[in-house]
Amino acid sequence: MPTRWGALPNSGIDKNPTPVDRIIRDPKIVAAVALVMLVLPPIGLTAAWLAFGQPLLDLMKATDPAILQFVFSLIMMGLVLFIVIHLCAALILAERKISAFIQDRQGPNRVGFFGLLQPIADGIKFMLKEDVTPARVDKPIFILAPCIAFVVAMISFPVIPWAGTVELPWGGTLTTQVASLDIGVLYILAINGLGVYGVVLAGWASNNKYAHYGGMRAAAQMLSYEIPIGLGVLVLLLVSSGTLRLEVIQDQQTATGLWNVFLHPIMFLLVLTANYAETNRAPFDLAECEQELIAGFHTEYSSMKFALFFLAEYAHMIIGSAVLVTLFLGGWEPLPGVSLLHGNNTWWAALIKFHIFWGKIIGLIGLYMLVRWTVPRFRFDQLMKLAWKGMIPIAMALVVIEGVLVAVGIKVDPTAGFVGNFGVLAVHLLVNAVLLGFILWQLSRTKAPVTGRQDNLPEIEVVPSRPAGQGGVSHA
Amino acid sequence: MRDEDVIELKAPELTAAERLYLPQIVAGFRTTLRHMFLEKKKRDENMVQYPDAKRQVRIDNYRGVHRLNKDPDGRVACVACFMCSTACPAHCIHIEAGASPWPDREKYPVKFDIDELRCIYCGMCEEACPCDAIELTPHYELVARTRQEMIFDKEKLLHVFEQTKHDKPRKNPAVTDYGLTGNQDKAVARPTSQTKV
Amino acid sequence: MPVVYLILITFGAAGLFLALPGRGQAFGRIGLLMLLGLVAASIAMLLPQLGGLGDRVAFALLAGIGLFGAIRVITHPRPVYSALFFIVLVVAMGGLLVLMNAGFVASALLIIYAGAILVTYLFVIMLAQQGTETAPYDASAREPLWGVLAGFLVLGTLTGHVLSGDAANELAAPAAGVLGTVGDVRPVGELLLTEYVVGVQLAGVLLLAAMVGAVAIAKRQAALQEEAG
Repeated sequence: MPTRWGALPNSGIDKNPTPVDRIIRDPKIVAAVALVMLVLPPIGLTAAWLAFGQPLLDLMKATDPAILQFVFSLIMMGLVLFIVIHLCAALILAERKISAFIQDRQGPNRVGFFGLLQPIADGIKFMLKEDVTPARVDKPIFILAPCIAFVVAMISFPVIPWAGTVELPWGGTLTTQVASLDIGVLYILAINGLGVYGVVLAGWASNNKYAHYGGMRAAAQMLSYEIPIGLGVLVLLLVSSGTLRLEVIQDQQTATGLWNVFLHPIMFLLVLTANYAETNRAPFDLAECEQELIAGFHTEYSSMKFALFFLAEYAHMIIGSAVLVTLFLGGWEPLPGVSLLHGNNTWWAALIKFHIFWGKIIGLIGLYMLVRWTVPRFRFDQLMKLAWKGMIPIAMALVVIEGVLVAVGIKVDPTAGFVGNFGVLAVHLLVNAVLLGFILWQLSRTKAPVTGRQDNLPEIEVVPSRPAGQGGVSHA
Repeated sequence: MRDEDVIELKAPELTAAERLYLPQIVAGFRTTLRHMFLEKKKRDENMVQYPDAKRQVRIDNYRGVHRLNKDPDGRVACVACFMCSTACPAHCIHIEAGASPWPDREKYPVKFDIDELRCIYCGMCEEACPCDAIELTPHYELVARTRQEMIFDKEKLLHVFEQTKHDKPRKNPAVTDYGLTGNQDKAVARPTSQTKV
Repeated sequence: MPVVYLILITFGAAGLFLALPGRGQAFGRIGLLMLLGLVAASIAMLLPQLGGLGDRVAFALLAGIGLFGAIRVITHPRPVYSALFFIVLVVAMGGLLVLMNAGFVASALLIIYAGAILVTYLFVIMLAQQGTETAPYDASAREPLWGVLAGFLVLGTLTGHVLSGDAANELAAPAAGVLGTVGDVRPVGELLLTEYVVGVQLAGVLLLAAMVGAVAIAKRQAALQEEAG
């Protein structure tokens, strides 16, 4: 009898799509909604401007600049919070789609046209799921841990210089950076350091071996990978004007058009890699690796508590990218080499800057996702080896080299422009190339097998292999 | 095994560029990006919109939910021989036998429960059954709200047969008789290469 | 005035003795309440010396949280919670330092203490014990009387010194004002690399020695394990 192939008739609930299904999956309706959402706010804003614009301007002119700045800072904080939370939702969909496409799948495509409404469904599901608190957990810490993770991820945002300063037509300025701290970068490092606690405490409080291992791993990993970031900041400090202020570091790049990523490509890669490790994402997601630890530190978490961890991870990605954009990628300047928007402090330039800044952040997050779905996970000893024997020595070497360069006077001159700093760029590129060559030379001198920790294996006696043509089985 | 039979395999050593990770990561990007952007057509062609459409399966071989066959007279074909529950590696079949009310067999199953959650769908029960009474169907959508619902009893298994007999007819309807009545064709009753070994 | 402080500190010492683990739940609560009263009283006494309303509110909050954290570090019977309250204390200290225009010291404190040292503490404590029960050796404090007496003496002496005339002037001298213009990172760096360069170098040598020692101990243990196995 020949093999009969066939698909059985439908027995599932989706045999007849409900009217709601038909509506939310219709691309025309989605397009109409998107159009309304895109068109209505500008129209509304214009109408509001026409109606209340002049009184508002008068009010702003009459207000004390300090109070105006305070109110504006509040608005910026609210705006950034809004963007981050909504971007997190969108990024979760993007991540699922990207991973699906990389793995030749379709990804979510049933809630709404192309799955565009999936974040809403996810959000509803997170809120409606049963919130399980297991019986023998340490309850206060169990509840506190996701809150710490989320709060810590969110409080780094005030020091990011989103769109520089805005000059008001009637004099005075507003800065879009909520807090212009003298310790800018150090503040972010300090907050990042606190981020470990969410993971470690979650792992410990769950009273679960897998979660515990996850927390322990996360702690060791984050401690190790903070060091390259700190050293990277140090290098920027040496070469820049000697300040920790994020907005000054960024202004220097936009003034010369010489982004730090061109001056310090190796350092950029190190900080980028360390950022991946700090966010606990693949290839460094040892704290939650499914094959060994079920879900690691958040094994016991469900519903909104789990969602907080999830949001914290994406918020960490956003803040990490924002810091990288500020420190290395020229902030809101669209193109390297030229200063298009530098010094242009009008309100429309600020709008463009804001969008370019977020565009760069989203680009970097795309890289995060691509890396996550391309590179396999490290083993834990490999992870530690990479940090302590690979990245930290290289970063330290870079610190020493940059110190020497600064000591002999090779330093970026913010007033000289791109051409004036060309020599500095050439020297830095040469230094980086030499360092890369040295690393390669060092690597080629030592040998490493493909797998396993085979450093201390005893000498294996070499067994003579069978000569060709003498096959056959014998029972010895 | 002789010493000469041992073939020594040496793990290839990584080159310096490979141990730098970066070139390898870029090569990985090439693969993933190719799948992402250049193979959309292949992806779409191979897609089955699952709940709307189902993928093609081999109806006679697919190992989905079990059924308990009925013979042409509409009686349960099982003779409660315990071969399937003995063969089951997951110990998920529970049978209680009783004296058969019919003259052509000695026993019949009073209870026949399969725990579909314990079952590993290996098909050993189907292989073991001497009278082709238990069979696996191509249905793989098993859902329930409780664990209790997932323990299928005799009525439910017979009901599955009623539901699936049009898609997958019983392989050998005549294999029930063990010569007790003598009025059935022995050639069919005896397992052959055409039926089962 | 100093007498009032001394009475407060004595009161606090008594409260601390009661609140240390091992005195029983009722006494522990009474002790905690006494300590909290002490915290509130001392903050209330310090507040009038501060400037604006914002400063006062921030100081009261941060000092209150910090002192509460400090009290719970030594009175909580479970080490993990103690470590957590230590973190609370460190964060509050960071806030107080920021209030004093010492942002660099604040962030250094956070990065080094909260970000590294306390994580290692937690690491060790969590590896040592898991579960929700209090271990028997944590249930009561070791030598509570002598500990409280020593703390009382140190705090009393310090308070007396601070409140005596010249020390108060000495402390009040480097007030804020210059810091606002040059920022708070550069002066620290310049001081570290000029006036205190010997100290920095000595600290570096000490850390190096500690690191070499750690490596040596680890090597020896590895060798011992090989012998045993």
